[in-house]
Amino acid sequence: MEGIPINRRLSAEFDNVGAMKLCAVTSDFPIDDRTIEACQRGDSEGFRLLFEVYKDRVYSIALYYFNGDEASAHDVTQQIFLKLLTHIRQFESRSEFSTWLYRMVVNACLDRKRALRRFLSLDNSHAHEIPAARKSMEEKVIQNEREASIRLAISGLKPKLRMAILLKHFEELSYDEIAVVLGCSKGTVASRLNRGHQILARKLVHLRGYGPGGGGWEE
Amino acid sequence: MNMFKKHVTHEISAFLHGELSDDMARTVKMHLAECGACRNALEEIRLGERLASTLRQVEAPESIWREIHTAAETQKRGAQKWSWPDRLLAAAFSFAAVMAFSLFLASYVPGRPDAGDAASWEVASVRGTPQIGNLRLHDTGRLRPGDSLETNAHSEAKVQIADIGHLTLDPNSRIRLISTNSDQHRIALDRGRMTATTWAPPRLFVVDTPSATAVDLGCIYSCEVQKDGSTLLHVTLGLVALDFHGRETVVPAGAFCRTRPGGGVGTPYFEDSTEPLQTALNYVDFGGNESERARQLDIVLREARPRDTLTLWHLLPRLRERLRSQVLDRMVALAPMPQTVTRSGIMSLDADMMDSWKSELEKSW
Repeated sequence: MEGIPINRRLSAEFDNVGAMKLCAVTSDFPIDDRTIEACQRGDSEGFRLLFEVYKDRVYSIALYYFNGDEASAHDVTQQIFLKLLTHIRQFESRSEFSTWLYRMVVNACLDRKRALRRFLSLDNSHAHEIPAARKSMEEKVIQNEREASIRLAISGLKPKLRMAILLKHFEELSYDEIAVVLGCSKGTVASRLNRGHQILARKLVHLRGYGPGGGGWEE
Repeated sequence: MNMFKKHVTHEISAFLHGELSDDMARTVKMHLAECGACRNALEEIRLGERLASTLRQVEAPESIWREIHTAAETQKRGAQKWSWPDRLLAAAFSFAAVMAFSLFLASYVPGRPDAGDAASWEVASVRGTPQIGNLRLHDTGRLRPGDSLETNAHSEAKVQIADIGHLTLDPNSRIRLISTNSDQHRIALDRGRMTATTWAPPRLFVVDTPSATAVDLGCIYSCEVQKDGSTLLHVTLGLVALDFHGRETVVPAGAFCRTRPGGGVGTPYFEDSTEPLQTALNYVDFGGNESERARQLDIVLREARPRDTLTLWHLLPRLRERLRSQVLDRMVALAPMPQTVTRSGIMSLDADMMDSWKSELEKSW
C-alpha cells in the first residue's frame, strides 16, 4: 500500500470492509495537505474521507450548541459540507484546515440561531435527548441524567461562552486556534473559558463526583 | 500589590489547560499556594472543566452524506446552460414524470384516487400540526393550487415540489400554491421562512414574496419574509435570481440579498462579509438621506475584500456618477480590470464591459 495516496488506501479499505470500518479508521485521522488538494481537484473519494473524519465533530458541536435539536444539527452539518464541497478551492493551505472549518461551523451555527430566534426560543422546553452510547439500562439512565444536566447547563451559557467550551472540549483546540476560529484574542478565549467553567461548576455542583477523576481531586 | 499578591482567578482555565507561559504558570502556582480565595476558584473551575470534558461526540446520521451527494448532483445540473431545445425536452420530460408520478399516487395512495391529485404536492408534518387551509395535518396531506399551508410556533412541514425538489417550511410561516405544471411551479411565501432544494432545469420553480420574486436557477436556498414584508434570500448552493419589475439580480451561493416592499431588490453580499459592511450596505440600499448614504458607502468600500466585489459590482449601476467612481476606484484596487475593459466603459455601464469584468471577478465569488 505504500506510495498510494492515503485517501485511495482508505477508500480501498472502505470498498473492502464497508462504511463502519472507514469510520473507525478515519475517526482520529488527521487530514493532510494531499487529501485537501485531492478535494480541491474534485476527488470525490477525498471528499468522502474528509466527511468521515469531520462529520461527527461538526454534528456534535451543532447538536450541543442547539441543545440537542437534531434538525438544527443536521441542517448545519449538511450546510457545512455542501459549503466545503463548493468552497474548498478557496482554502489556502497556509492556514490550518480545521481552524478554517470550525470558523465555518461557528458562522453556520450563529446564522441558524439568528434565523431560529425569530421563530422559536431555544429554551429548555425544547430540549432533545442526545443519544447515549450502548450500556446497561440502569447505567444508561444514570448517565443520561448526568449528561442531560451537563448539556442543560451548557445550553444555558451565553452563546460566546458555550462555543468556546465546545471548541475546547470537543476539538481540543488550543487557545490560539479558538481565538482564530472565534475571531477574538487569546485573552478573550481564556476569559470566556474561565467564566464558562465557573458557571458550569456552580450549576453542576451536585455532580462533583462524576466524570474522569471524579472520585477525588488531583492536585 | 506585587505580582504574587495579585489574584489569579482569571488565569485559572489557561493554567489548567497549560496555556500559560512558564513564568506565568510559576507565578500562578506560587500565588495559589498562599491564597485561599484563588484555591477555591481553582477547585470550582476545575470542576466545571472536568464536567465539560465529559461531553461525548455524537455520530452524525449517515443520511447527511446521501443528501449532500444529491445536492451536489443538483448543483451540477443547475450549473448547466440550457438551450431552448433542451429546456423544451426537459419540460416534456418533467411533464411526463409528473404525469407518471401522479398516476402512481392516484393508484396507490388509499383514499386519494381523484384526478385532481395530478396537480397537488405531498405535504408531511415534520413536527406539530401544520394546517392546509382549515385542515390540521397530523401526518401527510396534499397541497393543491389555491391552498395555503401554514405553520404555527410549534410546527414545521416538508413539501414535495412536484418531482423537482422539496421545501421545508419553518415555524410561523405560510405559503400558498399558486400553480404547478410542467412549465412552472409557483408558490407565494406570505410570511416566515422556507428552505428549498431543487434539481430541475433553471426557472421552473418560482417563489413570490411581498417585495420580489425568487426564480430558482437550480440550487438550495432559503427565503424569509419578515414582518415588514421585506424578504431575505440566502443561497446555499447554485444561483437564485431575484426579480423586481423585470429587473433581475442573480445571487450566488454563500450570499444574501434583501428586498423591501417599494424599495426593490437590495445589493447581494456574502455571508462572511463584515458586519459593518452589511449594516452600511443596508443603508446604501434603502436609506433615505443622500449625504448619509455617501458616508455609509465609504464604510462599505473600506470593509470590502476582493470577494466583496460581488457587492461592489452590483452597486455600480445603482449609484450616481460621483459615487460610482468611488466604487470603481475601490474595485480596481481589489481586482484589476481585464485589458478589454476600460474605466470609461464601466463608468458608462457598457453592458459588454460590465459582463467581461464580472466574468473575471466571479472567480473570487
